Amino acid sequence: MRASRKNSREIVEAGLARRRRKEAAFRASGMLATAVGVIFLGVFFATLVMQGASAFKQTFIKLDVEMSASVLAPDGKLDLAYADFDGLVRNALRKEFPDVSGRSERRELYRLVSIAAGYQLRDMVAADPSLLGSTSTIWVPASSNVDMLIKGNIDPEIDESLRPINDAQVAWVESLQENDRLETRFNTALFTNGDSREPELAGIRGALMGSFYMLIVTVALAFPIGVAAAIYLEEFAPRSRWSDLIEVNINNLAAVPSIVFGLLGLAVFINWMALPRSAPLVGGLVLSLLTLPVIIIASRAAIQSVPPSIREAALGLGASKMQVVFHHVMPLALPGMLTGTIIGMSRALGESAPLLMIGMVAFIVDVPGGFTDPATALPVQVYLWADSPERAFAERTSAAIIVLLGFLLIMNLAAVIIRKRMERKW
Amino acid sequence: MQNLTLILVLAAMAGGAFYMGRRRSFAVVGGPAHSAQLHSLPGYYGYFTLIWCLLPALGLFLLWVLLEPKVIVALIVESLPDAQRTMSAGELNLLVNNIQNLAAGDAISGEIDTVMRDAADRFNEYVAASRQMLAMLTLGLAGLGGAIALRRIRPEFRARNRVEQVVLYLLIAASSIAILTTIGIVLSVLFEAIRFFREVSVTEFLFGLTWSPQTAIRADQVGSSGSFGAVPLFAGTLLITAIAMVVAVPVGLMTAIYLAEYSSSRIRAVAKPLLELLAGIPTVVYGFFAALTVAPWVRTAGESIGLQVASESALAAGLVMGIMIIPLVSSLSDDAIHAVPTAMRDGALGLGSTRSETMIKVILPAALPGIVGGILLAVSRAIGETMIVVMAAGLAANLTANPFEAVTTVTVQIVTLLVGDQEFDSAKTLAAFALGLMLFVVTLCLNVLGLTFVRKYREQYE
Amino acid sequence: MAKKSTAKLLLASALISLTIGGTAAAQSGRDYVYVVGSSTVYPFSTVVAERFGRGSEFKTPKVESTGSGGGLKLFCDGVGVDYPDVTNSSRAIKQSEVDTCAVNGITDIVEVRIGYDGIVLANALGAPAVSLTRADLFRALAKAVPGDAEGELIENPYRTWADVNAALPATRIEVLGPPPTSGTRDAFVELAMEGGCKTVPWIKALKSSDKNRYKEICHTIREDGAFVEAGENDNLIVQKLEANPDAFGIFGFSFLDQNGEKVKGAEIDGVEPTFDAIADGSYPVSRPLYFYVKKAHVDVIPGLRGFLREFTSERAWGEEGYLSDRGLIPMSEDERSKVAADVRELKPLTLASE
Repeated sequence: MRASRKNSREIVEAGLARRRRKEAAFRASGMLATAVGVIFLGVFFATLVMQGASAFKQTFIKLDVEMSASVLAPDGKLDLAYADFDGLVRNALRKEFPDVSGRSERRELYRLVSIAAGYQLRDMVAADPSLLGSTSTIWVPASSNVDMLIKGNIDPEIDESLRPINDAQVAWVESLQENDRLETRFNTALFTNGDSREPELAGIRGALMGSFYMLIVTVALAFPIGVAAAIYLEEFAPRSRWSDLIEVNINNLAAVPSIVFGLLGLAVFINWMALPRSAPLVGGLVLSLLTLPVIIIASRAAIQSVPPSIREAALGLGASKMQVVFHHVMPLALPGMLTGTIIGMSRALGESAPLLMIGMVAFIVDVPGGFTDPATALPVQVYLWADSPERAFAERTSAAIIVLLGFLLIMNLAAVIIRKRMERKW
Repeated sequence: MQNLTLILVLAAMAGGAFYMGRRRSFAVVGGPAHSAQLHSLPGYYGYFTLIWCLLPALGLFLLWVLLEPKVIVALIVESLPDAQRTMSAGELNLLVNNIQNLAAGDAISGEIDTVMRDAADRFNEYVAASRQMLAMLTLGLAGLGGAIALRRIRPEFRARNRVEQVVLYLLIAASSIAILTTIGIVLSVLFEAIRFFREVSVTEFLFGLTWSPQTAIRADQVGSSGSFGAVPLFAGTLLITAIAMVVAVPVGLMTAIYLAEYSSSRIRAVAKPLLELLAGIPTVVYGFFAALTVAPWVRTAGESIGLQVASESALAAGLVMGIMIIPLVSSLSDDAIHAVPTAMRDGALGLGSTRSETMIKVILPAALPGIVGGILLAVSRAIGETMIVVMAAGLAANLTANPFEAVTTVTVQIVTLLVGDQEFDSAKTLAAFALGLMLFVVTLCLNVLGLTFVRKYREQYE
Repeated sequence: MAKKSTAKLLLASALISLTIGGTAAAQSGRDYVYVVGSSTVYPFSTVVAERFGRGSEFKTPKVESTGSGGGLKLFCDGVGVDYPDVTNSSRAIKQSEVDTCAVNGITDIVEVRIGYDGIVLANALGAPAVSLTRADLFRALAKAVPGDAEGELIENPYRTWADVNAALPATRIEVLGPPPTSGTRDAFVELAMEGGCKTVPWIKALKSSDKNRYKEICHTIREDGAFVEAGENDNLIVQKLEANPDAFGIFGFSFLDQNGEKVKGAEIDGVEPTFDAIADGSYPVSRPLYFYVKKAHVDVIPGLRGFLREFTSERAWGEEGYLSDRGLIPMSEDERSKVAADVRELKPLTLASE
């Protein structure tokens, strides 16, 4: 027995290899875990850019349009609202492909060009009525199916019945390409238009403006109230059950699901206060309640980080409590408060669940011009487009996401810069 | 905007009041040289005047702006010919709308008769008169308030105390908004939920096994009977949450450990902000990614090994939700790990344990309450997450534990029940509020529990 | 210095919030058309709304998809800017709804029939094609089906399509269909289910003797999981069918038309759901689509008359109009000109009592 008993060194050494293996495995799994997050981020951005980049381009077709007075003003009077500008486009297409005959075949042909072409012609004639009767060569947007074909999102090789564009249309597109009548250009419509049922006409301007108005309301309400609440809680509130309750309450509010805030908005602002549905004003109110706890918590942390020696010095020189706070603590805590506010705003910009509750998921074409006009927000637009059946909306959704993430990145960078440049180490 | 001009004028007046108050304080003691005789700093006399000038005027302004439209509409209705005044409330409302549009110069349709034209003109007149009156009254009140304040300035007047009192009230008011929000949430959800429970019993809601909230909406329609057993929703929510946790907890925890213990500071400086980026991506974007990229991928992967996978499987939504929660788990675990005193760590290392042994046997047990608190918060986050499940999970209320099937969650149902529906008298809509109440109560418990753990633990070693 | 900037910042944001309050309160009335209703008509309605908004001086109408029943309910809640001007419906208005409307002061409603739509039973493109009769549909989807003895009703025992009709595949019956708020549901129940139900002689006899019982038997859909209420979102149904080749979905022809590369329609009573078959009436399950307008709102809500004109214009609902591109089956020329004339005169609806 005695002889077989190992001394402690031998025990340790015997286990050493196993322990080292364990250590390596543990370390490797830690590395793996970190990599999971980072890899996901990489995959995520890569897919997004791959899907979305093409949406910043749009295919255009060159047409020789004759602004024929007999089509536009058959009875000699030009009524812009009801004149048949689409007819001009159809005529131009027929002239381009003279051997297309038969009703259904012609209809297939007309579908190559977006309905935006008619509006483009109308705007031209409205700006310069002397164009009537002349012929001009213009570039008009192609329909979304042609656009998808050109961008390679529709494979012309697969069976005809499986794709939304038929063989004849593919052949026409090819012939247009050969004649240099097809070109892809920067998609300005994406940034200048509101929503649309036609992918090639749909843009994010309406949603951007909606988000903008909402954020103005949010920052105007949440920043002063949040900072004031933080100052009171941190510097003035007596330590009591009551202040404990407020504390718990604020921490909890920061973690309440955002959709519950939507229910609050629906019940209080829309049903009870009878504010209009789909309005940025209501969205902003809901979002400011949502971001308030974030701002309060960040501001309190900023106030806490101001060293007590500063307060004591000021108090010792005879400043009142209020003077200490407003003259000394707050200027020092301001960078932290601003950072917190920007983070809160970026959260508000990305939030969509509560907005679904207050009627902001609607088809709204016009760009909102005020706080009570019906509007959507950028993330809600993403949600709406993601649900649309047209294939071309998939890439536009990705493009809208890229724009949204761009804004969020800018806001977060601003927060980092403010923190870096204004923060003081004690 | 005329209101904007008024506000600007008011702001200018407030600025003026500040300087006049200050000047006056100098005057009462005979020049800046004698300002030491004043009770407060001269600026406080300025602020005092400013408050008197601004607050009453602003109060009046807000009240006026809120009441103005109602009063003007009432006046317009009063002045309409009898034929219009006897119309039903709805028609009258339309007529007034038309008059308003006409007055605003908007595009309107239909014939404009003289009655309407007159009414619109009168409307504009009233608005103009009201604006004028408002301007006069607010500015007058501002001037009067300022004057009263100026008259009260004496060397012994305790201006600072007065000003600070007002500021304190404002601060208190601001901090009570957080409480009001909670009360608002509870009340708004509770009232509608109570109305719901009057129609559907609590036990059926909590323990019923079928969820099919569609009821006939007309008396002469044969619809479905409608059942409000929410168990499938709870089960679906739990299933997706569980999947998310299976992803987020190990990955988040190991990430925190790796970054805290092993990684070089260079890697840490890169990886940490990258992971924080994950937390900043909007949930609707995760939803888009889950529905369009991950769900088809899960389906193909599942089918390639011979599994029946629904296109809106719980797995896809859960996986993406798990990724979303990683940063939350890792940052809270990081806090907890860092809060463990270095002495404990050094002690374990000094006794010859490897770093992994130190971590597993010493630091993690010590940090456990904090980590558990963090996980509870993450669970609460997962339960309340809406957009990912709305976009990637289904509507089918299946009662299943199979992650490849489609399930629905509480939040998905709230959204489907309320979007596009504005009726507040059907059990269907009210059910959303009952679900909201459940959601609020459950997340409240989790949050309070989690926060207490996190906080208690932090204090333990301080 | 720092002190002043803080104070200024707070003051400025307070001023902004006040200004918002001020401008918000000074809003004027509603200056756009407000449309609610059927999700089947929604794609047509939004296209018309958009064209109208772009082509005229008026704002683009706001369109919400609430289902025909939900839309009519909102519509009938009252007259005034807070209530919708137009509701889309994939079925005709019911007497009970006209009554509700009347109670709330809506007496003159203008009915506009815009075209036809077939209701299709579709499955994924890769799944086997089937041919059903309306009797098959009734037996597969009714809550209670006639038993062996005459007058006997039994709880629907059929699990697979083969149980219903031996010629059909032996897959589990799983049909995704619309909820009761939907007009498609009403139309499906009345055309397909009742059509199949009537083939049983003793049930048909009930129609004259006990109408309520007849309706209950024919109109009640089973609730044991074979019929899944899939919500108002028809896009979603299409996606689910793609994922599950055994499932069938019920929706409007226009959705089939738009999603031809994903799903295909089943033959009903031997007729395939095609544009022409629905237009000439040979496809048995087709119904007209409507929208309803409050007469009191026309000429009061800016743009409403123009919206009506656009919807009933030849370039919209004509044989070659843009709505037919979207899958709306146009009415005959006579019908169109008659409806258009009625709309111009705003001829109010009169219901023939059932």
